[in-house]
Amino acid sequence: MRVRTLGLAGVLALMVAAPVRSEAPRGRAWVHIRVDESNRQSKVSVNLPISVVDAALQAAPEDIMSNGHIHLGRMGKHELSVSDLRKAWNEMKATGDAEFATVEEEDQKVRIARAGNLMLIHVEKPNGAESVRVEVPVEVVDALFSGQGEELNFRAGIAELQKRRGDIVRVHDDHSTVRIWIDEGN
Amino acid sequence: MLKMVLIGAVAVPAIAAGSVAATGVVVVNVQEARGGHHFVVPVPLALAQVAAAFVPENKTRLHLGRDAEKYLPVARQVLSALAEAEDGELVRVEEPGQKVSVRKEGDMVRVSVDDGDEHVKVQVPISLALAVLPSSGTQVSASQAVFALQHARLTEVVNVQGKDGEQVSVTVY
Repeated sequence: MRVRTLGLAGVLALMVAAPVRSEAPRGRAWVHIRVDESNRQSKVSVNLPISVVDAALQAAPEDIMSNGHIHLGRMGKHELSVSDLRKAWNEMKATGDAEFATVEEEDQKVRIARAGNLMLIHVEKPNGAESVRVEVPVEVVDALFSGQGEELNFRAGIAELQKRRGDIVRVHDDHSTVRIWIDEGN
Repeated sequence: MLKMVLIGAVAVPAIAAGSVAATGVVVVNVQEARGGHHFVVPVPLALAQVAAAFVPENKTRLHLGRDAEKYLPVARQVLSALAEAEDGELVRVEEPGQKVSVRKEGDMVRVSVDDGDEHVKVQVPISLALAVLPSSGTQVSASQAVFALQHARLTEVVNVQGKDGEQVSVTVY
């Protein structure tokens, strides 16, 4: 679970952001990543200007990304494709605020919902042992799905990110916490 | 006649010193552990450039490998964007007995590694890194790298301090 959540946090760091306030940003945006592992007494901080992330995406090799679009193709044994996800997203977007999925199992509870302009993905384990909170602005997901076919439009996603301020991802378990957020501080 | 000789005796070293100062000097300073030998080796950059020019090209070129061709443009773009970004701490890692910090300050990227016994500080001007990276292909030439050191004038590029007091520093003047 821990590896999965950390991986999820890393990917989402580049993809999404949640707004805390809605006014237009005044300065340049920075992405911040903090990973604290209490069992190893380890703290890692990464702070990157979004302009640097954008520059890396612009120059990424074509076999990874072409013109800011990433080609994913079909993935997994269930043949989930980007175009399928895009269709599902368009349907979900049209429904407005709703609970899309709530899964309650013995060892965890998963909730996927839309609230206002945020898509929420919350995973919680009993007694607060472990939790993942991802809050994705609708505009960012829209921007990502603005590619064609099996492509995600990362550049458009990054452009949306530049407007966002606040937490993107929070993960905590018994031994570690991960926080990814955007602000104008460095 | 004596006047001409005196003028020559003063002018030649002055011009030589001026040329060296204008083109830069790399000073390698090595202090051995426990009060051992102390070496200071000044190398005029102009001399290093001339020497590099005489070495066969295949001996002075570092081939970075096939993958580098794909990722060098990324490195160039990232460095260029970083040069224009605000100053700040880019990375900080703290573990018991070890600290690593990477900061951007002006044109400089400062890396500091402190593992208790050893302290390493590296300061690399972004303009130097951009000058060393090939604009096309995957080869870095030694003469290009030496020439790029001009971007690091008045900078202590490397400083390593060992647990027994040994110290190595490389400074470009």
